[in-house]
Amino acid sequence: MSQELWLCIRFPQLATEALALATTSVDGHSAGGLLIQRAALERLAAWAYQWSSLISCAPCEPLLWLELGASRTLFGGHAALLARIEAGLLQLGYSHVCALAASPTAAALLTRADEPRCVLTKSQLRQRFASLGLDLLELPAATHSALQASGLRRIGQLLDLPAAAIARRFGPETVLYLQRLCAQASDPRPAWRAPDTYGARCEFGVEVHSTTALLFPLQRLLLEFQGYLYARDCSVPRFTLEFEHYRHPVSRVTIGLCAPARDAQQLLGLARERLHALQLPAPVSALRLQALEFSSPQIVQQDLFGSDTQPLQSLQRLLDRLHARLGPDSLHSLQLQADYRPERSSRCIAPDPARMSSSPQAPAPDEPMPERPCWLLPEPRCIEAPSEPLLRGPERIESGWWDQGDVQRDYYIARSGEGAQLWVFRDRRDGRWYLQGLWA
Amino acid sequence: MESVIPARGAVLDRLARLCQSGHWRRSPLAAAPSGFAQLDASLPGGGWPLGAIAELMPAASGIGELSVLLPALSRLARAGRYIAWIAPPYLPHAPALAQRGLPLERVLIIRSCSSQESLWAAEQALLCPAFGAVLSWPARISDKNVRRLQLAAETGASLGILYRPAAAAREPSPAALRLQLEPTADGLAVAILKCRGGRSGLRLQLPQAAV
Repeated sequence: MSQELWLCIRFPQLATEALALATTSVDGHSAGGLLIQRAALERLAAWAYQWSSLISCAPCEPLLWLELGASRTLFGGHAALLARIEAGLLQLGYSHVCALAASPTAAALLTRADEPRCVLTKSQLRQRFASLGLDLLELPAATHSALQASGLRRIGQLLDLPAAAIARRFGPETVLYLQRLCAQASDPRPAWRAPDTYGARCEFGVEVHSTTALLFPLQRLLLEFQGYLYARDCSVPRFTLEFEHYRHPVSRVTIGLCAPARDAQQLLGLARERLHALQLPAPVSALRLQALEFSSPQIVQQDLFGSDTQPLQSLQRLLDRLHARLGPDSLHSLQLQADYRPERSSRCIAPDPARMSSSPQAPAPDEPMPERPCWLLPEPRCIEAPSEPLLRGPERIESGWWDQGDVQRDYYIARSGEGAQLWVFRDRRDGRWYLQGLWA
Repeated sequence: MESVIPARGAVLDRLARLCQSGHWRRSPLAAAPSGFAQLDASLPGGGWPLGAIAELMPAASGIGELSVLLPALSRLARAGRYIAWIAPPYLPHAPALAQRGLPLERVLIIRSCSSQESLWAAEQALLCPAFGAVLSWPARISDKNVRRLQLAAETGASLGILYRPAAAAREPSPAALRLQLEPTADGLAVAILKCRGGRSGLRLQLPQAAV
């Protein structure tokens, strides 16, 4: 028990702030408000899991507990850890009150008291309570009336009474509550369990018409997701965004990565490119993030001096961004094909980071091919017979009789009036001339 | 956190030493040798400027506007850097590039449907330090956007090539290097219209490279 240190975080505006774009405040006690608050608390629990393996959500209040006794040394002491958690909450955009104490009950009470809210030892806890008012105690209304009638004003005064007297006057449950408050009785909390797949939904409270406006709630969803990924020590190879509309079926976008990642800013960058090009059928009322697959992380040391130690990684990131914004059909790599027909000797394939970063293969020396031009036209273009003398040729290419791509051509290099060198051929079957490439 | 503090001190030390020794700043004269002795001799640093935008303005397509660049691209690619081709006007022909020594593994071709997307893709590729050169063919580009690409090229220390129509030679541009290319009977005439840190107004005759 003496090792335990509980952080309690109270989110006084959770229901309102959880509605990312709400313009009016939401009552956290209304039925709708409670649901929103609960969903947000679950997401926050997943996010907080990166700091502690023991997380607990209050059943009906916007309260989250983190047991920090085990992790504080890992993160450099409780003060450093608390500073990181508070910075993270600030980034998420939730107003919050944090309190640290040796028991969850005490920490919860301190979130409702004034500073100081960090009381590390049991004896200090007793001192801290001495001057606090009895109204802070979480007791049934009847007990509160009894306390008021008793003439007691401070928690310290109540704690000074013998336990037997308290039990007789205010009931045995009050004794247990006070013991938990002073970390003298076991104070178990139901542990929140990280789900195996991740799903988080965020309602807006208003209909969102522009995809740009979705970025703000999306950033929060991704930051919370990042917390979950860190906690589970994994990365995500792809995730899905679902856009809910009032009178339309859900729109879905799946964002895949070349290499699994878990950095919220990286994921946000990809989502931003994707949203940029997205045409949604209707305004969006809620956004859902879902990830079903996870993989072990690729830990990469960041180089302080920004030098390029990870070309593969930066290539992957670029491919992801281009892919997200321009679509998969806009990216190509080139590959040689063993075919004499020029239009079939060069092939566009989908870029594969593994191939791109492999050491280059030397071109096969056993198939010497005459020089080829750098530019090829998408289709040979029919031209008039060249009038000027041809610079070089012919090179005869006869191939493809076996696959309906039969060609019988005589290739020449010609010069255009502008001085460009053209790769032209005469089709031996119909005698017509075609332009197929440029010697750029 | 206590254990991290000495390491941080060591890092700051290293940083201070690097700043003093001048290694910290990228040399502004970093260049990729063009493979043409005459051209290298006329360019500051002895080649195409890395971390800058170069504009090539060929009189027409098919006069050797790629050949003048390919030795440098091959060298960059063999050194492990990628070459991005953004919205090229024709299909880059794999056998031809391989014949000229460009490893096809390092080539990325990006097709885009609008000039805005091309510009964006060029900027992204230039910013990425894994790319050694980014080639693009904008139909029209404003000075503001050239400057934007120039900044991206500086960040990524890569060579940004803008192929522009011959008519663009008459307008000024913020690009670091501007070359006008014209065909001659036995090769390619290169006029250096602008060369930051070097001499402009030179006219060179390069031998016919490919054919």
